[in-house]
Amino acid sequence: MKACPYCGYTNREGLLFCEECGQGLTDARTGPANATHVFEGNASDYAIKSAWGSASLTTAATIIVHIRDAADPLQMPLADKMTLGRYDSTNSHQPDIDLTPYGALEKGVSRLHATIERNEDVLTLVDLGSSNGTHLNGQRLTPNQPRVLREGDEIQLGKLVAHIYFR
Amino acid sequence: MSREQNPYDILGVPHTATTEEIKAVYRRIARRLHPDVNPSHPAASAQFQDIVRAYELLIDPGRRQAVDQQLNRSEDGFIFSLQVTPSKRQVVPLPEPQVIYLLADILPDPRAQEIVNRGETRLNLTLVLDHSNSMAGTRIEKVKIAAHQIIDNMGSNDILSIIVFNDRAETIIPATPLKDRPALKAKVSMISPGGGTEIFRGLAAGVKENREYLSPNMVNHIILLTDGHTFGDQDECIDLAVQAARDGIGISAMGLGHDWNDQFLDTLASKTGGSSEYITSAGGVVRFLNDHVRNLSSAFAERLRLSVAPDADVVLESAFKLAPHPQPMEFEDGELLLGGLQLNRHISVLLQIQLPSGMQEGPRGIARLVASGDIFTNRHQQHLSVCDVSLDVSADAESESPPDSILDALSKLTLYRLQERAQQALEHGDVTEATRRLENLATRLLAMGQEELAGQALSEARRVAHTKELSDKGRKTLKYQTRHLLIGTNNEDLSQ
Repeated sequence: MKACPYCGYTNREGLLFCEECGQGLTDARTGPANATHVFEGNASDYAIKSAWGSASLTTAATIIVHIRDAADPLQMPLADKMTLGRYDSTNSHQPDIDLTPYGALEKGVSRLHATIERNEDVLTLVDLGSSNGTHLNGQRLTPNQPRVLREGDEIQLGKLVAHIYFR
Repeated sequence: MSREQNPYDILGVPHTATTEEIKAVYRRIARRLHPDVNPSHPAASAQFQDIVRAYELLIDPGRRQAVDQQLNRSEDGFIFSLQVTPSKRQVVPLPEPQVIYLLADILPDPRAQEIVNRGETRLNLTLVLDHSNSMAGTRIEKVKIAAHQIIDNMGSNDILSIIVFNDRAETIIPATPLKDRPALKAKVSMISPGGGTEIFRGLAAGVKENREYLSPNMVNHIILLTDGHTFGDQDECIDLAVQAARDGIGISAMGLGHDWNDQFLDTLASKTGGSSEYITSAGGVVRFLNDHVRNLSSAFAERLRLSVAPDADVVLESAFKLAPHPQPMEFEDGELLLGGLQLNRHISVLLQIQLPSGMQEGPRGIARLVASGDIFTNRHQQHLSVCDVSLDVSADAESESPPDSILDALSKLTLYRLQERAQQALEHGDVTEATRRLENLATRLLAMGQEELAGQALSEARRVAHTKELSDKGRKTLKYQTRHLLIGTNNEDLSQ
């Protein structure tokens, strides 16, 4: 199996273009942002190691969310699923990362706006159908469709802009 | 397949092969294609029957001698060849299925250029033209101009018939050699528009006229031109087309404007080895029709078929004809109908194949491909070319980058598939998925520098999100334009 570096969709081995989004899956076509696969061991215990630098999390254990105009960046250990949003006492589901202190309400962040999910070695960003939308590097996300998140990416929830780093 | 095929070619053995060698080859093929071993692929049993027949001929000394004598008499030169390029030659055995691509090229005989000069390709052409009310005005006038030019350009040995149809069909020119051209043109000039569109009657009359001169040493072809939907008779049309294809008649379909059924015309063409075309405006009619007829008359061989028999554990997922005319292909009993092979162009087909999990190490066969067709100049017209595709399965296979020809074709084919899957999603009522696929398509098109088409994809995506359907025009534009991106990738002109 091979995860698409663009949308995270799991493609069968040997496919040269992602069946979901059409992204090229070979090195030749897509440049540095792409996966290189190393097969180790024999047929029974083969392993694929994803080694695309900026999206790989093999060593990173902490995610840093640097919100624009905020003094200190948010730092937290990586969980499998982290919801970004705005705390609201009337709602039974609360976000894991509360953006209220950063002016979330004025900037149009929904209560449950987006999630950052960890699948094996890749982080993906998923918009949860927010009112004002989620942008990744300037591109608006289609709700509920994961996009791979890389070191240094700019995300925008409503009007709230943040940069993502791993450590 | 015909009994007259060369049994040596079918088995893939040299004429000098000993009986023992023939037996060994036969046993090896039988282990892969015998119906008991490989029941799920129709081409496997069809190919196996041919192999048994060839084997029985060659294993009996008396019959083999007769075959040899006959072959000596009909040794007449021209051939085409089948070349198959896999996306990988070595694969790693995996505990999961994996995909591999095969690029099958059928190449004309390089010595055949002289056929053109001798004018040996004869056309038996039938035009089936829509003259319903919606054709009134420029459209019908352009069709008349095109028909006049075709009458002028065809050779005097060629056969032409013209049917016009609306809700009835009228044979305005019965199948005839082109002798009195002014009289034929006068009949074309009298076509006037009126009535609705019912394709079956026109097509049935067209097939009837084409059969009058049907011959294995001619290009027997029907061109259907319509600008409207036909109602209720589509299945009849397809049945008729399949029957006609069996007899050696190809059918091409041209849709004019955007109010016609693209799925229907695509199926019609793909089941007969013809092509389907989207002509956006009346102005394109003359050029499209003339180009098409010119391509038909530069054929070196006709009725090409590609039979694909995968091994029992291999899955054949899809086939797409890349050249000369890009279009998706459907298998009919394990065979693809590919139409004519032109003198200066390949026929190129891309197959997507799934290999099973847990393959044993070592060399193994994955599929046996047989291309067959009629070469006009040969007395013994049926020719075939066999290619047995095998791979090396090895745990320490080196990773190799796929051939550029495959990568290049796939990068564009992927776009066609995206719009296809957007339409499928829409048919299942999944608006979100359809929108997403169209947006993905727009992103990819932009990355390729196809800005105009990307804009179309994006506006269709918005349209789908709001109205839950594509516009007729947008749907056809995306479908046929993404197909057209493939022109020129594998379509190298051999004459250049």
